[in-house]
Amino acid sequence: MSLSDFFRQLSLLIGTPAVVLAAAATILIVVPRDWRVVLFGYALLTVMLSLLLSQVIPTEWALQQAVVGGLVAVMLYLSARQLGGPAAAGLSPSARWPRVASLTSFRALAVGLVVVAFLAVRETVEIPLLTPLFRDAVLWLVLIGLVGLALHAEPLHAGLSLLTFLGGAQLVIFTLIQRQMLVGILQGGQVLLGLAIAYLVVAHGLAAPSRAPVSEALPDFDGPTAEEGALMPGPGAAPESSAAAGGSA
Amino acid sequence: MISGPLLLLILLFAVAVAVYLLRRLEPLAALIASIASALIAVGLWRLPLDAPARVAGRPVNLGMPLTWEDITLRITPSSRALLVFLFAMAAVAFILAWRTYQGRSFYPFGLLLLALWSMVVLLQPLTLTPLAVVLAAVLSVFLIQAGRPGDTQGAWRQLLFPALAVPFFLLAAWYIEQAPLNPDDTSPYQVAGWLLIIGFALLLQPAPLHVAVPAVAGQAPPVVAAFLWAGGQAVTLFLLQRFLVTYPWLSDALDSAQWLLWLGIFTAILGGVMAGAQQRLGRLLGYAALFDYGVLIVALGLRGTAGLPTAIWLLVTRTVALLTMAAGAAAIRHYMTSDAFDRIRGASSRMPWAVAAMIAGGFGLAGLPLTAQFASRWALLQLVAEVDPRWALLLLAGALGVTVGVARAGQATFGELSHSPVEREPAVTAVIAGLLVLLGVCLAIFPQMLTGPVAAVILPLSVLEP
Repeated sequence: MSLSDFFRQLSLLIGTPAVVLAAAATILIVVPRDWRVVLFGYALLTVMLSLLLSQVIPTEWALQQAVVGGLVAVMLYLSARQLGGPAAAGLSPSARWPRVASLTSFRALAVGLVVVAFLAVRETVEIPLLTPLFRDAVLWLVLIGLVGLALHAEPLHAGLSLLTFLGGAQLVIFTLIQRQMLVGILQGGQVLLGLAIAYLVVAHGLAAPSRAPVSEALPDFDGPTAEEGALMPGPGAAPESSAAAGGSA
Repeated sequence: MISGPLLLLILLFAVAVAVYLLRRLEPLAALIASIASALIAVGLWRLPLDAPARVAGRPVNLGMPLTWEDITLRITPSSRALLVFLFAMAAVAFILAWRTYQGRSFYPFGLLLLALWSMVVLLQPLTLTPLAVVLAAVLSVFLIQAGRPGDTQGAWRQLLFPALAVPFFLLAAWYIEQAPLNPDDTSPYQVAGWLLIIGFALLLQPAPLHVAVPAVAGQAPPVVAAFLWAGGQAVTLFLLQRFLVTYPWLSDALDSAQWLLWLGIFTAILGGVMAGAQQRLGRLLGYAALFDYGVLIVALGLRGTAGLPTAIWLLVTRTVALLTMAAGAAAIRHYMTSDAFDRIRGASSRMPWAVAAMIAGGFGLAGLPLTAQFASRWALLQLVAEVDPRWALLLLAGALGVTVGVARAGQATFGELSHSPVEREPAVTAVIAGLLVLLGVCLAIFPQMLTGPVAAVILPLSVLEP
């Protein structure tokens, strides 16, 4: 048995668990603020997407999804790490984890509503040539991607929500159109999108290095609280280095 | 024999690399980028499409397609007209950027953006063209952000909508391929039609999907923003026109002309009203451009024998007005270190020509008399009034909003300087601003100057190839 045969049979065997894991991964992308959890969710999502894609396109092509997802995750990891996390923000270890901010519960509620909407409409959605399992996966990824885009303004979460939406779209497109050139172009496009998102993460995070002490900070309902800010690469996080301020320019 | 598209792309990439290496010598980089763009525009205009020619001693066939698997790049008479416009506009924008400090990355990335826009214009099959639009949007991110930390909303919104649009076009492509398999079933065409409409709504970004325009206006350097709008919107509208010609059932599936009219009117009104209420030059430029974009969409929606020539006329004159206002706003923002109305007091005494350019360009976008846009806008209003006089009145109301906004901006530049001494505008900046104002006035007094170029574009566009 070749590696690709093994991969394809594995994907058929774990079809439903893969969809469930992908759905769980998307929740990790949309709900938590901690960039490490978010990136873990994205890495998990790309592996599951790769497994699912291997059911409809040749395994070698499907594996590109994992490679591309890995590249994007590495780019975003380097960008987010450059800006520092809770340690760089000067929080004590006890203050860093576990952390449930006020807006996190709001996002969890929004995801709960998405679940309700998903359950309500899934039977009525018909996409040609798609199995019910794939239809559910596509519908969930598209819905949660759009909700993520609506909930987040900062580039890391919003960018990964966009990639989640596009991941769902890829499941449909590659089921309907199986051309190597198209797979290559779309995967290449995802790498470039990841590059642009990583650039924006750095640009966004390098702004506003000053921060009020956590105990004195008031919740900001237009954006993350100060505590949340410490967990995400954004204006709330103190930069370790401003060397990248010049960006590409 | 070298094919035209291959030569065009190689030239652009080579010049972009050279300009990137020279970007620290900004005057040289700007000059090279501008001269290269101008030469390409002249070459595209002068070289024959249907016969071989010699360029630098090598045989070149401009009309010869470049093919890779299913993808073909081909210069057609209509696409050549748009390319000439894009490269001529870029040649001017590069020079303006040099004297108004728009960021060194503008020159190489601007050339790459031209290469991607060219791909959008030349690419077949049509349903793959949005992929090139997304690549252009990715590149725009770096131009808009220009290496500055801080707000990323403009760059993000510029990227978001084209990326969301791509799946709709690819799905539509599948339905279009399926339709001939069962000629009695028209449902694939209907589904494809709706998918394309959603895709184009995301690409065109009329109000209320216009959120990228004010965000870019507030964040990007003004000349860069004007470059992105003038080029990007022209390319998207050309793409829409190609789709409508290639897939006639798309017009039947939905009354596209009516929809374009409504969307254009709504966009123009919103842009005009918002322009009148702005407190910053950048955002004023953005909403004035949005108003003008709405007017352009209305012209495209009119169709018929007069609608298309008016749209082409507007496209040219709006570019003059946009670049004029952007150049003035960029100079004021640079020397006054802010573009907020309460921080530019006294600008008219230190940089009169920049202020004149800002006001003349703004009034041009509003379509007032003695500006480049007046003749084309007047012709459009007459055409719209034939359809429904109330719509013409709504467009006039939008223009009034832009006029009020520009008048407020102009008023804000008078008076004593509000803060520390400000450098007087350099002679070169004043000359460039003065020339742009003069060009606008000349086009207003002698609109027939554009008759030749517009007529040359209309003929190939009227028989637009897929």
